[in-house]
Amino acid sequence: MRNAYRAYAAKRLVQAVVVILLAYVLTFVVVSILPGDPITSVLRDPQNGFTEAEIQEIVAAQGLDKPIPVQLWTSLCHFLTGDLGLSMRSSRPVATLIAEVLPSTLVLASAGLAVALLLAAALGYGSQFLPKRFGQGFLRGFPALFLSVPNFVIGLVLIHLFGFQFGFFRVLDPDSVRATFFAAIALGIPVSAQIAEVLIANLDHESRQEYAAVARGRGLGPTRLFVRHLLKPSSLPVVTVIALTIGELLGGSLITETVFGRTGIGSLVQRSATSHDLPVLQAVVSLAAVVFVLVNLIADLVYPLLDPRVKLIGDHRPRPAGADESAADTSGAVTP
Amino acid sequence: MTERLSPPSLSRRHLLIATPAAATAALATTAGLRPARGAGSPNDGGDITFLIDSLGGTWIPNNSAISSFQGHIWGHVTDKLIYVDADGKISPWIAERWEQNDTATAFTLHLKQGVTFSDGTPLDAPAVVANLDIWYAGRRNEGINPIGLFPKTYDHAEAVDAATVKVFFKVPTLGFIPTLGYHGSILISPKTIARPAARQANLGKTSGSGPYLVDSWKEGDFVRLVRRKDYNWGPPAVGHTGPAFLDSITYKLVAEQSLRVSAVQSGQADIGYSPPPLELQSLKEAGFTVATPRYLGFVNGWAINTKLAPFDDVRVRQALQAAINRQEIIDTVYTPDWKLAESFIQSNVPGATDHRELLAYDPARAEKLLDAAGWTKGAGGIRWKDGKPLSLTLHANPYLATSKAVGELSAQQLGRIGWKVAIRAYDVVTFGEKVRFNSPTVPAYEVTRSFIDAGTVASILTDANNGEDWFGLGESDPKINELRDRIAGAGSARVRDPLLDELQKYVLEQGYFIPLTQIVQRIYVQNPKLKGEVYNGIAYASYYTATKSTA
Amino acid sequence: MTVALPSSAWRVTAASRLAVLRVPPAVALSFAVIALVIAWSIVPGLFTSFDPVNGVPADKLLGPSAAHWFGTDHLGRDLYTRVVYGTASSVESALIAVSIGVAAGGLIGLLAGFLGGWVDVVLARLVDVLLAIPSFLLAVIIVTALGFDTINVAIATGLSAVAVFARVMRAEVIKIRQATFVEASFLLGGSRWHILSRHVLPNASRSVLTLAVLRFGLSILVIASLAFLGYGDPPPASDWGLLISIGKNYLKWPWLVYAPAFVTIATVLSINRISRWLRQTA
Repeated sequence: MRNAYRAYAAKRLVQAVVVILLAYVLTFVVVSILPGDPITSVLRDPQNGFTEAEIQEIVAAQGLDKPIPVQLWTSLCHFLTGDLGLSMRSSRPVATLIAEVLPSTLVLASAGLAVALLLAAALGYGSQFLPKRFGQGFLRGFPALFLSVPNFVIGLVLIHLFGFQFGFFRVLDPDSVRATFFAAIALGIPVSAQIAEVLIANLDHESRQEYAAVARGRGLGPTRLFVRHLLKPSSLPVVTVIALTIGELLGGSLITETVFGRTGIGSLVQRSATSHDLPVLQAVVSLAAVVFVLVNLIADLVYPLLDPRVKLIGDHRPRPAGADESAADTSGAVTP
Repeated sequence: MTERLSPPSLSRRHLLIATPAAATAALATTAGLRPARGAGSPNDGGDITFLIDSLGGTWIPNNSAISSFQGHIWGHVTDKLIYVDADGKISPWIAERWEQNDTATAFTLHLKQGVTFSDGTPLDAPAVVANLDIWYAGRRNEGINPIGLFPKTYDHAEAVDAATVKVFFKVPTLGFIPTLGYHGSILISPKTIARPAARQANLGKTSGSGPYLVDSWKEGDFVRLVRRKDYNWGPPAVGHTGPAFLDSITYKLVAEQSLRVSAVQSGQADIGYSPPPLELQSLKEAGFTVATPRYLGFVNGWAINTKLAPFDDVRVRQALQAAINRQEIIDTVYTPDWKLAESFIQSNVPGATDHRELLAYDPARAEKLLDAAGWTKGAGGIRWKDGKPLSLTLHANPYLATSKAVGELSAQQLGRIGWKVAIRAYDVVTFGEKVRFNSPTVPAYEVTRSFIDAGTVASILTDANNGEDWFGLGESDPKINELRDRIAGAGSARVRDPLLDELQKYVLEQGYFIPLTQIVQRIYVQNPKLKGEVYNGIAYASYYTATKSTA
Repeated sequence: MTVALPSSAWRVTAASRLAVLRVPPAVALSFAVIALVIAWSIVPGLFTSFDPVNGVPADKLLGPSAAHWFGTDHLGRDLYTRVVYGTASSVESALIAVSIGVAAGGLIGLLAGFLGGWVDVVLARLVDVLLAIPSFLLAVIIVTALGFDTINVAIATGLSAVAVFARVMRAEVIKIRQATFVEASFLLGGSRWHILSRHVLPNASRSVLTLAVLRFGLSILVIASLAFLGYGDPPPASDWGLLISIGKNYLKWPWLVYAPAFVTIATVLSINRISRWLRQTA
């Protein structure tokens, strides 16, 4: 059993490394299709007054005219030794750029996740215990509504209501606790919908089980019943969904940061994408892949230890009850 | 993570000067140079926040100095040899006076004494030589570009003594002195210049000699500048040479147009850059200061590629000239702060002349010209000739926020006389790659460009001497060639101005350049408590002379 | 229902018909919204008499009124008209995105699940890579590479959804292949392609279809988000996301944001509701 587990862990680890390297190469290939780069773009700014011949000369001096495979090989070698290179846009080390903005995004993403979890838990609780006449059905429609509102619209509304009308937070100080709170709401609402859908489906499933009826018969209060008997068994599949929403949080932060004017990974990506700053984009994509792969790797490695029923072949983590793989995506496609 | 900087050489003496009593004493010594406000008045001090839509890419001084965004910061952190005011008038700054030889191949600059960079290095003749050298040549293999508009005829410069620099050119170069006032020509400490590119890119480590220095910054977020207390060499032309009044200026990046405006309206910031033109009227009514300084340069308009059909036909180009309703553009997209184009260069440029009669809106004339050229109206009101529709592709200029709206409106105006207009939009990088003067896919290049000296205009219109050949004419139009050569050879404004007038008239008559409006690329909305800012020839605001009332 | 009122006899029958089909009223309303959206995209001219491109510059930025339901924009164009005419492109691009996802993802999933072996291993890694890159990040990079244009935005959105479809398809195919009736078919000597086309595809396509409907709504949002960030069509296009993006520059005139945002939300919500109903009845 132990050896089998070791072999399984080693296999997963190798797969993870392969995935990260492929993500790096994929980004290189996609961005290399782009015409132009930040360096030539600065030279071509009409205010600069360079002639075409001068531009070619400067580009050649910096080795930007080398064939793409050669450039990929050089960049891959640097990446493997942990050197992320210099940003073509700002000429500063990519590692420094990412280190500067990472904390802000981590704060936003964790706050967003916290908001999402709280909202999902509240919706889950309401879906079980809110009396029908107080709009339980209405409440159950919330996840679908949350999934239908673009998060930039939520952000715009929050800024203009709470930032300017009521003055709850200073719009120009987006890293303040209050501003972060509102940004986290904008980010967390769509994410909460996915978690809530899976949670509600599983809660429904659990509450139909016999032991729930027994517990109810014993006269357990709704809150204790919810926490002890329903939430716990429902949470394992929910953890799976959370692991899969990590990417969602990163993607969502791209828009939320733009709307709220935060300086984070999202705004770095946007700046780098519009200026075709290849080294930065590659580094961010690899970073996102590393995070995603790590989170899922941990989940994969922990599940067999927690639940002996999980067989050590392939990716057979417990899926949310009834929810198929599409829960991985945003949908929480749940068929109870 | 913010890079906090300790002031250079934080000695005990510096700390003492920072105490209020010592500061008053220090002010007293320079009192003669200051306006009547005097020390201790409520107008001295204060902090302002400037909201800007971008802070550009790199901070390597050579590569970023001409950027529309970073120019704001460089203008406060660095000085120039020459000052150029909003009317293009040249006056002394770090160069107190200058001479040139008869052939304009050798110049002598006499520098102000006692000027230092913020790292303590003196701004003397060797420092100026180091700057001239890197402006001319850059360090290309390292990624430090030359300054594009610095005269390519530069030969070398030498320090005669600590305060005198001699500059030599290979051929006569009259434009040299005005170039020293252009935004690329910022004086940077030789210590910074000697550093490799990756370290020059760290703004916090760059030293200039300006009235402010960088206190802290974060890429893509903000740059905070603090006053340099020992600054005493401002340009006399602005009426003040001592230390700045405001304690600090924070440039904060806020990408959303509407957020910048709302923040200024709600008092959270003092200046908003590039607000939507349509909101200016209501902002003014609410008591905010609105500044729309025009830079010296070309108007906003299209340079037509005469190599591409149907624009090889002068009648088609003239029809285009007559079919644009410039007043409607100002009324719809802009406000009365924008001025009608009178020529293809801005009306505040010395040497610009009024040719409004050539730019009148006359759709009937346009239709007649197109009829005469054989373009007849077909189905859907579009004009056709030889089985081809009369079409025009516009490329929205990413450097001008209103470009898409102006393009849409002109497309409607042209559509009324049977022109099929398509608009394409690219990001700045792709625009630079795909949209160029005189390219086979670009019939009309939208110009937004400043210059300091109208004499340079004629030389970029054709392809002689590495010119940019804006209209795809090459050497084929003898009239333009003749004017170009005579303007280049003109020794004085008296001789040159009539030639410039003739050039403007000819270019507009031929429909080579289709002006849209005079350009206001930099728009500022400002808290009325902030007063006394100065705009230079490139429309940058300097808050060196500004004060903020607390009342 | 208002059974007691004689005048509502028709409504009663309509309601009972819906009841026979077991269509809840909310779903019926969703279908009505979608029908309207489809009509807008096919014959926009029937719903408005204004011109979506050429406005009356003097009438710029008017508030909502009887003449202009959603007000007018910065060039004096009727916003309702712009929304109606922008529908086709918004719906079309979401359709393209979903089609790309279904086609590419479905094929990958089908091959991986049906052929198994090394094909499965290689394709599974490819899907892992696509899953590991946040889909919105991937879409931003792809659309930058392809150029700013709604079709390219649609392609980018579709490509970023390939992994999801591939996973679902693969899981379904494996599930069905192991089902008794398919194994029986194998034993009876049915050819691979026969089994694939007769048994695997029809059964797998149900859950893929449900996912496709859901992704359709999501694609509208992703495309709107990309347009919001400035990656959409150049003017005078009036896709919903573009309208919101332009409107945010004129927040003093909030209907420029809220009207297109409302239409977007209503559409996506209806699609999601229908998709849920399909899952429940399936």
